[in-house]
Amino acid sequence: MFSLHTAEQAPQPSAPGRTPPQTGAATRATPAGGTIAWRAGRVVALALIVFFAIGPILWMMASSLRPAGELFQAHPSLVPSSVTFTWYQEVFRTDALRWFANSFVVAVCTTAISLTVGTAAGYAVARFTFPGRRILLACLGISYLFPAILLLVPLYLVLAALGLVGGLAGIVIAHLTITVPLTTWLMKSFVEAVPKELEEAARVDGLGYLGGFLRITLPLLRTGLATTAMVAFILSWDEFLLASVIAQGDNVTAPVGMAGLVTSFDIRWGAIMALSTLVTIPVLVLFFVLQRYFEKGLTIGGVKG
Amino acid sequence: MASAPTLLTRGPAGRQQRAGLAFAAPAALLFATILGYPIFESFRTSLFSMDLLTGRATFAGLGNFGALLHDMALRSTLGHTMVWTVLSLAGQLGLGLAAALLIDADWPGMRWIRQLLLIPYVIPVIATALVWRWMLDGHYGIISANLQSWGVLQEGANPLDQESTSLATAILINIWRGFPFAMLVFWARMQTIDRAQYEAAKVDGAGPWQEFTHITLPNLRSAMMSLLALRGIWTLMYFELVWLLTRGGPAGSSETLSTYIYQVAMGEFQVGYAAAVASAAGLFLAAAGLAAWIVIRLRGRRRHV
Repeated sequence: MFSLHTAEQAPQPSAPGRTPPQTGAATRATPAGGTIAWRAGRVVALALIVFFAIGPILWMMASSLRPAGELFQAHPSLVPSSVTFTWYQEVFRTDALRWFANSFVVAVCTTAISLTVGTAAGYAVARFTFPGRRILLACLGISYLFPAILLLVPLYLVLAALGLVGGLAGIVIAHLTITVPLTTWLMKSFVEAVPKELEEAARVDGLGYLGGFLRITLPLLRTGLATTAMVAFILSWDEFLLASVIAQGDNVTAPVGMAGLVTSFDIRWGAIMALSTLVTIPVLVLFFVLQRYFEKGLTIGGVKG
Repeated sequence: MASAPTLLTRGPAGRQQRAGLAFAAPAALLFATILGYPIFESFRTSLFSMDLLTGRATFAGLGNFGALLHDMALRSTLGHTMVWTVLSLAGQLGLGLAAALLIDADWPGMRWIRQLLLIPYVIPVIATALVWRWMLDGHYGIISANLQSWGVLQEGANPLDQESTSLATAILINIWRGFPFAMLVFWARMQTIDRAQYEAAKVDGAGPWQEFTHITLPNLRSAMMSLLALRGIWTLMYFELVWLLTRGGPAGSSETLSTYIYQVAMGEFQVGYAAAVASAAGLFLAAAGLAAWIVIRLRGRRRHV
């Protein structure tokens, strides 16, 4: 779960962290805005920490573009002398495309199901009182915290009994155990940010509960839905543990297939770095798009106070 | 309890409750089948001696739990798990706090730097593991090659493949991966600190260090607590990174509880015993969680009195 708890965590902490107001920026005193030496020290420290954070990512991308002769030398040089796409060409000739297609299908199905179920449940616990509501909330909290490794054996046994081990459907079901608690939790907070009065007015006008939800509330949840969908997609796309025991043969996801490449003696690092770059790029793209949605989500939350 | 009868009445209250139940039903069903039932199954399996290859299961009662006490491999695994958890958390929180202090400034482009610093936390764990394995490769890895030329590391050695350094290296990589999350939580909390406190401190002649210890740090206490609780559970049971970096080796030198459970279940096919280890870990987590909750409750009460 660990990777599990990657990007999904961001909405919570950022809730109190409104982006600093533009107008107040000038008056807002920086706690440590002192001498020039102090500032220079901060800049250096910041540069170091940024280098530490993104250095490995840059190295991964650079390695995927270097010719074999430059990768495998006793004293690796920092700056590549030439750029090559042979590793990518090599990768595209293998089973890797199939792995990525599998990962994509699994992630899309997981996202669609967990978004549907999670939105309905989030709406239920945010808007209604019904018997079992508190139990459902408690289950949500527990399953959100529950480490996936503890679920591994029993989930495997249940899926094996149902004949779902080895297929993509089994992976989707396994991923739902990770994504549904989270999507429900996120959608609950997004629903709470939408005013209740609109749907109540719609109900007075004769729309039923389902009609009020579908026609009034759901369109207002667009930002929340987009954010939640991206989080679910990334979680499923990254997941390794559960997929590694359920996926078999041709039906492995990208992380599982890639993990199997390092065991051989002749490790093709260039190809592996090309695959690593390929598996990272969709996540990075979503992350930078997600950033915008985060802020939209925050302004809604901000209205609520 | 008036709720059950209300559910069945014809009035608006009953309709409201039925609507809530209907929205919550899919998630409740999903929780029961893919989370609740497997957890129950986990406890049941732990009472059997079960071989995944032959499929034979014999009732073992509490035998599996008894075997836990005499498992020497488990004992050293627990030691590694403690070291892994404590040092990972300390590193992630420490570096996260430092990074949060550094990005808490009104300098131009800070938003982008914040984004860049979050990248280690969002990229897929498989890419993290593979790129670090590449950088630490004993012959061509950029980090290992440099360490070797400085004489810190033996010729041709990979820190991940040496018993003395495998766990420490995995911890360092885990710090790299996890510090951005702590940074985000700390930074978000810092944005809510009243700036007037800093102004007042400045008037009183406080330097940056005093501002940090007397204003910033006390305000970050709650963020620190929730980070410790959440990250504590997930780091304790974090599987992917250790497995993908070292598979718990060499010679079990980086084996943590989660890789041990995986190894016992999927490598040795002792499903019953793996379920017993997982159940014991789950019970321990639940007990720790309950204790923490009670302590927080009691302290909260005392503060109010």
